[in-house]
Amino acid sequence: MNNPQQDSTDVTRKTLPPDGKVNNAKFKINLFVLFPWFKKICKWRSIQFLLVFPTMVIFLFFLYAGLFGSRVGNRNIIVIFVWILWWFLLITFMVPFASRVWCFVCPFPFFGEWFQRGALIKVRVGKMLGLRNKMFGLNKRWPKFLTNIWLQNILFLAMCTFSAMFLTRPVVSVLILGGLFVAATFLSMIYRQRAFCMYVCPVSGFQGLYAMTSMIELRATDKEVCRKTCKTKNCLTGSEEGWACPWFQYMGKMERNNYCGLCMECVKSCPNDNISLNVRPFCGDTLIKGYDEAWKSFIMLALAMVYSVTLLGPFGTIKDWANVAETGNWKGFSIYAGIIWFTALVGIPFVWYLASRLGRFLSGTNEVSTKDIFIRYSYMLVPLGLLAWIAFSFPLIMINGSYIISIISDPLGWGWDLVGTAHVPWKPIFSQYTAHVQIPLLLLGLYFAIKRGYDISLTLYQNKSRAARSLIPVVVVCTAMILAFLKLFTG
Amino acid sequence: MKSKLMLICVMIVLVCAIVPLFVASSSGGETKEFYIKARQYAYEPAKITVNKGDEVHIKLASLDVIHGFFLEGYDIDAQIEPGVQGFKLRHPSEGREFADVNEIVFTAVHPGKFRFRCSHTCGTMHPFMQGEMIVNPNYPFLAGVGGAVGMLISAMVAMFVSGRKDKNLR
Ligand code: SF4
Ligand code: SF4
Ligand code: SF4
Ligand SMILES: [Cu+2]
Repeated sequence: MNNPQQDSTDVTRKTLPPDGKVNNAKFKINLFVLFPWFKKICKWRSIQFLLVFPTMVIFLFFLYAGLFGSRVGNRNIIVIFVWILWWFLLITFMVPFASRVWCFVCPFPFFGEWFQRGALIKVRVGKMLGLRNKMFGLNKRWPKFLTNIWLQNILFLAMCTFSAMFLTRPVVSVLILGGLFVAATFLSMIYRQRAFCMYVCPVSGFQGLYAMTSMIELRATDKEVCRKTCKTKNCLTGSEEGWACPWFQYMGKMERNNYCGLCMECVKSCPNDNISLNVRPFCGDTLIKGYDEAWKSFIMLALAMVYSVTLLGPFGTIKDWANVAETGNWKGFSIYAGIIWFTALVGIPFVWYLASRLGRFLSGTNEVSTKDIFIRYSYMLVPLGLLAWIAFSFPLIMINGSYIISIISDPLGWGWDLVGTAHVPWKPIFSQYTAHVQIPLLLLGLYFAIKRGYDISLTLYQNKSRAARSLIPVVVVCTAMILAFLKLFTG
Repeated sequence: MKSKLMLICVMIVLVCAIVPLFVASSSGGETKEFYIKARQYAYEPAKITVNKGDEVHIKLASLDVIHGFFLEGYDIDAQIEPGVQGFKLRHPSEGREFADVNEIVFTAVHPGKFRFRCSHTCGTMHPFMQGEMIVNPNYPFLAGVGGAVGMLISAMVAMFVSGRKDKNLR
């Protein structure tokens, strides 16, 4: 396979390899080889239950706190621990460093999966749906026209439109989280395996998209073994050792992190010991596959901007618009919601389209379609958006971090003092250095956007100069976006 | 060749990030006065701008409920009651006791952007109630902008230097 970063003469460069991978990772370290005990843990049937069960209990406690605890957002554990702490950990550490590891411990599908499997730990062998497992429920196929992430895109946008409410009102958080929990359970009874996670869960789409950057990946060690030697394809169909991949992945073809929930069933079920958990360079997957994923990158970027203005900005009017439940200003709220939806679904995509058109023109050849340029280059917004989100999330924790400490002692806001920290006063942690944290993060995002953009351009064009020219407009757009974030955060 | 190009790119970014710091200047040493009114959930004016070295005087008032005024980086935390002349002030590093004052006075010694935010739970959006004080020259911002523009320039340089001799026609 070719490596665009290595060849300098490049006359011989072939077109995109079939898997669309542009940086055939410079380094890959298989954690399963490095730490055999870790592989043993992953193969252990009880491990997922042992991790999910506590999160499940904690989650139910959060719901209880949200319903019966203090109505003040910053005195209730559900708001501070979910939207501040969990969010910060998810976007800053879990996704970039450990892909969808959250989905391994996420409590939402707990009851649904239990129902489907009729077991918490053991595997049921059987013969149905072309699988080697026995599953309960209606096991319907997910409707074909919804087998993309559009539904997640829309649901996430809808959820985020009401962020000012769930961030400040525990009951609204309960409605949203509890609603998702119930939906996950019911959909699991109707549709097969993790249809909810694949196609509905609002936090699934962006985890999948940003997991493309992640520094770990779960892959078949040798795809040839999958394609040629392996007759049973147990990762996809299951076995007596492990359940069929709940995320419908076949390891012989899985090339990206997007839709692997890291449940470790394939590690257990593969008879050929052919699964690796690799450490790899940042931004390892670079292939955006369709408009749904491209739009996800636009939506996430738009939301990062809107949140930065609304929650980190000084603008009282916009806060009043967002805070409709208190102000009752529905006209203002419509403007606010309209701006979010328009920017995310039309504004940024339109700018991206113009830049792609211009890039195609500048390249001097019609050989690559605008559609390909548009979709493939939209990957640049993945590192850019992720780092912008991280830059946004740091001040949240720097400012509200002390709430975490005091709320541990008084999770419901009832005046308890469990571990003696209830009266730790609110105090920002080094918040005067926010800019010093945010600027390097934003610049890092821009660096990876440009770098991976160039890698991708070399898979689209064989001539380096054409590749570079096609990239100019989108690079300028990315720089402009980073400048906008710099202005919002530090200017 | 490749490492040389890398080096040039890094130099471009560094130069772009550093040069604005030397060019930027501001004449401090003046006295700047502000009257900031707090309401649920914003300050008015929401943004104040001073120069490094200025002596800053801030008077505070609340239009509705009790609000706070925590100015990060300057060890200032105030509590403002509505309908009362003056307000309470403390320096968190020196203790938790408040003193009654009529204005906050300090010298803007640290350049950059500093937020003042509400430190007294005042309602639903309280955690997001904040305003901004810019102390010019805003070095972090200038360096950031310079760095981003420098990256754009060095990306162009790098791409076109490596594309220059490409005879491939597609
Ligand atoms: S996709 Fe959503 S519901 Fe499913 S495991 Fe991940 S976070 Fe949980
Ligand atoms: S079971 Fe193992 S060898 Fe067979 S296809 Fe799956 S990962 Fe490959
Ligand atoms: S079975 Fe394997 S591929 Fe499927 S979600 Fe679990 S870890 Fe990922
Ligand atoms: Cu307030």
